[in-house]
Parts: sequence; structure tokens; C-alpha cells
Amino acid sequence: MTDPVNPPQTDQNDAPEPATSPLLAAGRLLAERGVYGLIWFGEDLYVTARYGRLADFIEVGDPLLHACLPLIGLESHIHGLKGQPGKVIDLPSVLIASSDNSLPRLNLTVFWYEEGNHFLMLLARSSSHSDLERELSKQMRARLIAETAVAEKSRELARANRELARANQDLEDFAAIISHDLKSPLRALRYATEDMADLLAAGDIKACLHRLEEIGQRTQRMSAMMTALLDYASVGRKAEIAEPVATRRIAEDITRSLAIPDGFTIEIAGRWPEVTTVAAALDLVLRNLVQNAIIHHDLPTGHIKLEAKDGRKSFTISVIDDGPGIDPTHHAAILLPFRTLNPRPGSTGMGLAFVSRTIATLGGRLEIFSEPTTKRGTTFRLVWPKTLDA
Amino acid sequence: MSAHKVMLLGEIGVGKSSLVKRLVFDRFETDYKPTLGVDVYRYEVPPSKTHAAITLIIWDTDGNFGEAMFRHVYMKEASAAFIIGDVTRRPTLDTMLTLSKGFREHFPGRYEALIVNKIDLLDGEPLNLPDALSHNRKRVFHTSAMTGDNVQFAFHEAAAEILRRGL
Repeated sequence: MTDPVNPPQTDQNDAPEPATSPLLAAGRLLAERGVYGLIWFGEDLYVTARYGRLADFIEVGDPLLHACLPLIGLESHIHGLKGQPGKVIDLPSVLIASSDNSLPRLNLTVFWYEEGNHFLMLLARSSSHSDLERELSKQMRARLIAETAVAEKSRELARANRELARANQDLEDFAAIISHDLKSPLRALRYATEDMADLLAAGDIKACLHRLEEIGQRTQRMSAMMTALLDYASVGRKAEIAEPVATRRIAEDITRSLAIPDGFTIEIAGRWPEVTTVAAALDLVLRNLVQNAIIHHDLPTGHIKLEAKDGRKSFTISVIDDGPGIDPTHHAAILLPFRTLNPRPGSTGMGLAFVSRTIATLGGRLEIFSEPTTKRGTTFRLVWPKTLDA
Repeated sequence: MSAHKVMLLGEIGVGKSSLVKRLVFDRFETDYKPTLGVDVYRYEVPPSKTHAAITLIIWDTDGNFGEAMFRHVYMKEASAAFIIGDVTRRPTLDTMLTLSKGFREHFPGRYEALIVNKIDLLDGEPLNLPDALSHNRKRVFHTSAMTGDNVQFAFHEAAAEILRRGL
């Protein structure tokens, strides 16, 4: 067996003694190495005779280098054997690969057969099935399986750490939202009630009523924000049921059910897979992205393309619009709760926050591509897993 | 048609055999059988606009050889080497750097490219390579023997480069 850790260092090992005649040397090698095949070839490296079962892969008349791939490139080294009695080229444990794995693993030994200007190649079956080699193979396999398991555990740990980091980030985000986004309207309420006290003292009932109306609007707004925030916090905590989903059908349903303004077209392209996922989540995400593409468009006409690409463990859907684009400095901020670049009446600024959180909860991710200084349009690309983590 | 020897080097289990089997037989075997010694394959690259047809003799080596491979008779007259790592096992990527350095020292001027294999297992996660590998000036291919991604492309590019350099 070849020791892969300490392989032969040169092509001059196991050399027959120079004083011995070449045929006797060949005979000795035959006996010592358990040779089952012989090939003779002349100076032009064409096969002139062969013997033995192991030489079946090559025919008399073949150029040696046509069938004996391991010798390709060694022509000059083979010719170099001439006149150097005892020198051999040894290629241990070589398998000439075939689609049906029909050829045996061989030890190849080439030396110059002095009488007749011929080279001789000895073919011995490699002892690849020895107990030692089987054990080595077993150990290599076990090592790889162990390393793969460690790598998988590491990836799981990394995933868990990312989830923990996300949960911590959520906590920080909620704290920031409560302290900023809700504190501000609360402060406004306090000022309004203080104003009302002054207005009542001054007897200005009309201004007081106006203030009361403002307070009503602000409390309604805060109530809507609180509802949205609770919904946002519950994303991923509800028992979501995964089911077989034809993703293209979801895209088609969305385009049918949305109010598409005249002048706008929606195209569905690419390869949409059938997957097992939470249909409602995918619907929510796509619906929000398409709606946003329409609402935030700055022209009376526009085109929105929904393009899917299938993958082995995940698939991607790109929502590509030709609107004004989004400055890269805002790409991260627009995914946060209560953030919008174009405030509109009745909007809580939670649409993309829901989208982002829903995708992240299911193990996917959302990428934004837009560079309005050089090109119109925005692409929201969502990477959606084909199966849900347990 | 000229024939040129290409070595596949890398740690055990990085997918050397899977890559060459995908290339030559267009198949992927899920059962792992370690290569003991070397397996030699023939692959013919068809002519293109820029080069003639070429035969690659691909030597798929035993991952246990490590740097000892560079002194082995197997390496004689190699025109090129692919140094392969498994994207999911960091130590195999570190080994790529050692083997790359060894190949440069023992076979200066030969074509060398790095293959980061099993990218299908990333499953959407970002590719996180060791800094030294990211900044290595060698050609780096990201492949999947399982899906076939980039496999043929890598070998065809190597063939074109071997001919261009007259290796």
C-alpha cells in the first residue's frame, strides 16, 4: 500500500540491481509485486505486446499515451530511463477513472528493457483492499462526517447567535420606539391639556374646543400606533401553518386584487416554485412591496416587474419598479417601524417594517437595490427559504 | 489535440472527486468514498473562439497528501492545479492558502486557481472567507459539485489559460 503521508520521493525506488539482466529483473519484480499484467512498448511508445487481465484497458497498436492517462506528460522521463539500468518510474495506487468504475486501481512501474530497445510496464493491482487501507478509508470517512457535523453545529450556533442578536435588537428598537415615537405625541397631549387649562381660565371656549379636537386626533393616532406596534411584536410568535404554496398564484392573486391605477402595468416573470411555506406571510410581504411601488411612484405611468428565481434551499422574488428610487442612506431606516420617506394621512409607516420582520422571522432576508443619482427605480429582493426552521 | 495535466489538491472531503465527476460524467454521488492514491480522468475541452480543443488529464488526489504531494512523482509535468476548499469547513479554507503557497514555490509559472466548493450549502448566507483568501490575487471560483454551478466554467477557463501561457 502507498503511504500517502510519506509517499515515494523519487522515481528510483525498488530498483533491480544493475548487474541483473532486464528480463530477470522483470521476473523478480513480477514475483515481488504480484504483477498481473505486462505491457511492452517500443521507442515510439506504441504498445507492441501485452499480457494479463490488468492490461485489458489497452490494445496492441495503441499509442500508450492514448489509454494510459497517467503516463501523459512523462514521455521524456520514460525515454530518460534508457541506458540507466535499474532506474524505474513508479506510479503507485493509480485508478484510470471510467464511468462504470470498471478498471482496477493499479501500481504502475515503467522501466527500460534493454534487449530490443523496448520499454516494459508492469501492472500490479494496488492493494487498495487491504485491511489497513479499508481501516484508513473508514477513519477518513469518520473524520469527514465528524468535521461536517461540527461545521453544521457551528452554523446552527451562528444562526442562534444571529437570532439572539435580532431579539436584542428588537428590544432596543422597541425601547427606542416607545421613548421617541410615543413619547413625542404624549408630550404634545400634555402641552395641549395645559393650554386648555389656560384657555378655560381665559374663557376662550372656541380655542378650547379646537384643542380638544386635536387631542382626539392625537389619541386616535397613538391608538393606531399601539395597535400596529403590538401586531409588529407578534409577527413570528403566532402559530403559523406552513402549507404547499404555488408562489406564482399568490403573485397573480395580488395583482388581481390590488387597485392598479391606469397607466401602470405589472409583469410576472421568472421561475416561481411550489414550496411549503406560510402563504399569508408571503402574501403580506409581496402585497406591501407592490403597493409601495405604486403609491410612491412619482409619474402617472409605471411598470412593476415581479421576477422569481428558484434555488435549492431558497428562492428569490424581486419586485422591480421604475419609480424615483430610494437614496442608499435611507435603505436601512425605511425598514424600521414608523419610518416613511413620504408621510401620508392614515399611514403609520409600518408597511416595510412588517415586511422586513416577517421575512426575517421565517429565516429569509430583504435586500434593497437603488441608486437614484444614476438610475431610476428600486429593486426589493427577498430571499425566501423553501422550508421553515423547526 | 494537446493534453495537459491538471492536479486537484485540497483537504479530504472538500469535494475534489465530486467536482471532477460532475465535470466528466455529469453526475453527483452523495455517498462519500475517500480517494486513496490518485484517480486520473480525461476531459476534452471543445475549441472556442479564442483557443483550440484541448484535453485535460485531471489528477484527483488523496486529501491526506498535504504538502508532501509537491515532492511526489504524481506531480511531475503538471501544467496546472486547482486548490480546493469546503466553504462550510473553515480549516479546509486555511489549508488552501498553505497549498497555494507550496504550489507556487514548487511549480512557479504554472496556472493555479482556487475553488471554494459546496456553495449550495450556504443556503443564502453570505460567503465568509478568511481574509488572506479574499485578498489572494489568485483566481477564485465558487462552485457546487452538487448543482454543477461554475464547475465547467472553472475548468474551461483553466484550459484557455494553459493554452494562452503555453504550459
